[in-house]
Amino acid sequence: MTIGEFISDRLDKIMLFLCCTAAAALLLWATGTSPGVIILLLLFLFLIFTVTQTSEYLKCRRHLSELNALMQGLDQKYLFFECAPSPCSVYEQKLFELMRDSGRAMIGAVSDAQASMQEYREYIESWVHEVKTPITAARLTCRHLDSDSRRRFSAELEQIEAHVERALYYARVQSPEHDCIVCQVSLADVVSQAVANHRTLLIQSHMQIETGDLDFTIYTDRKWAVFILGQLLQNASRYRRIPSPQTAAAESPHAPDPDVSPPSILLTARPLGRQIQLTVSDNGIGIPAHELSRVFDRGFTGSNGRLRGGSTGMGLYLCRKLASMLEIDLQIASEEQKGTAVTLTFPAKQTADVANNRNLTEL
Amino acid sequence: MQKIMIIEDDPLIREEMSLLLENEGYEVVSVTRFTQIPDQIRDCAPDLILLDLGLPGQDGLTLCARIRKSSALPIIIVTSRDSSADEFRGLSLGGDDYITKPYDVPVLLARIKAVLRRSSGLPEADMLAVNGLQLSLTRGTVSRNGRSIELTRNELKILAHLMTHAGEIVSRADLIDVLWENQIYIDDNTLSVNITRLRTKLADLGMPDCIRTRRGLGYQL
Repeated sequence: MTIGEFISDRLDKIMLFLCCTAAAALLLWATGTSPGVIILLLLFLFLIFTVTQTSEYLKCRRHLSELNALMQGLDQKYLFFECAPSPCSVYEQKLFELMRDSGRAMIGAVSDAQASMQEYREYIESWVHEVKTPITAARLTCRHLDSDSRRRFSAELEQIEAHVERALYYARVQSPEHDCIVCQVSLADVVSQAVANHRTLLIQSHMQIETGDLDFTIYTDRKWAVFILGQLLQNASRYRRIPSPQTAAAESPHAPDPDVSPPSILLTARPLGRQIQLTVSDNGIGIPAHELSRVFDRGFTGSNGRLRGGSTGMGLYLCRKLASMLEIDLQIASEEQKGTAVTLTFPAKQTADVANNRNLTEL
Repeated sequence: MQKIMIIEDDPLIREEMSLLLENEGYEVVSVTRFTQIPDQIRDCAPDLILLDLGLPGQDGLTLCARIRKSSALPIIIVTSRDSSADEFRGLSLGGDDYITKPYDVPVLLARIKAVLRRSSGLPEADMLAVNGLQLSLTRGTVSRNGRSIELTRNELKILAHLMTHAGEIVSRADLIDVLWENQIYIDDNTLSVNITRLRTKLADLGMPDCIRTRRGLGYQL
């Protein structure tokens, strides 16, 4: 609170004081008091008024800065009225009680919302676990089919699994602390697990997968890293360039490139200081430059998604969410009709989380 | 014959699993009453337990810890709970391996084999032999009549698969599947190249027509 603000706040009282003293001075002068005495009296009154107002201003300022500090220190700002000291004046106290009641209503609403979110998350998780049982049974049963139908059948099952998995991770990003264990993981292991999870889709889209040197140790949650990488692999095969001259001509008449190279994904890693950087690049249809900044938004499907269909706009959104929780830096670069490259930078070993969880693993 | 006990409450999965494992040459016992499981285990003395965590009326993890307390019997936890924290709990409470549903059948079989091998201490079968052709999996060489030739990783996996399915027709797609399971990500063309190289090497050993092409079907050893 500045002095100006304080004065403008108290303007009515100051005016009242000035009027009163003026009236009193006039009265004294009219009744024949000598001007010297009046001036002395006025000076005395002004001095008292200034001193009391200044001390009040200082008190206000101190009180406000205390409340400010309290607010700064609060995690949940809406709990302010529960923590603030109750004021002394009756009027302020009444105001304070009103505010506190409003705050309590808010706390109730927030905790209800949190509880129902939690319930919903738990329901989704248990639903996902339930649905995995019939999927497993279907997987086991489809062994009896002939090899061609089996392959088609497993591709469909893999699709279902991918959707189910996304639903599960969507529920998990809301409160990740329950499931996430950061520890030493082999990058090559994560890559081969992610490829294995989407094998049918990748083989079906005739993807060529090339891997560079992946012999690195990263510090992350294995399952989450596999999930993130899985989303990238799915995108690469969904948005591959289809090497058929008719389709290429129909999609863009300017493409003179008759021999489109077969779809491929290149996975390479390199150390970057203490961090490890993994790049997943494909030679697919790419993302238009003006859409690139929005690909991580929830539900964003873009022109490619509309063209190819089957896009949910959830994959990359979840990637970014999970990556930020694991402190993985996620960058995307793309050129239309050339391909897309996604770079994941895994954090170096020393973070508080890692230290905690390593203790956990050592127990 | 090694005995595997399946503790799983879904009847279809239980049935399919026991069929699958019996075909792989294991003896299979399925638990259908989910009470007094430790006693049932003691009575039938299996070599390995496949344990589902979501059992009716009890927590699979508690059961796992109870079994582990009284014996060193290998336990593979097979469950749909898939977070790292769940896996950590499962393994720290005595599971030897943790497989999440839905699993790949070949992966499940490979992990069962690995756990059994670890617990029995027997080394893995290293040599495959068909028609006088001998394949050493650890050394990566194929030999016949005392002469041997080194194979690349891809050729080794292809030949090993053909030899374990000797006489059968193996489709190209199946071969690609097998190679991908072994982290060899090749496509149709590369497979052809690898088969051609493999044939040349086998011809050097005096078996030029060892791998036959069955047009439209696949390959046959």
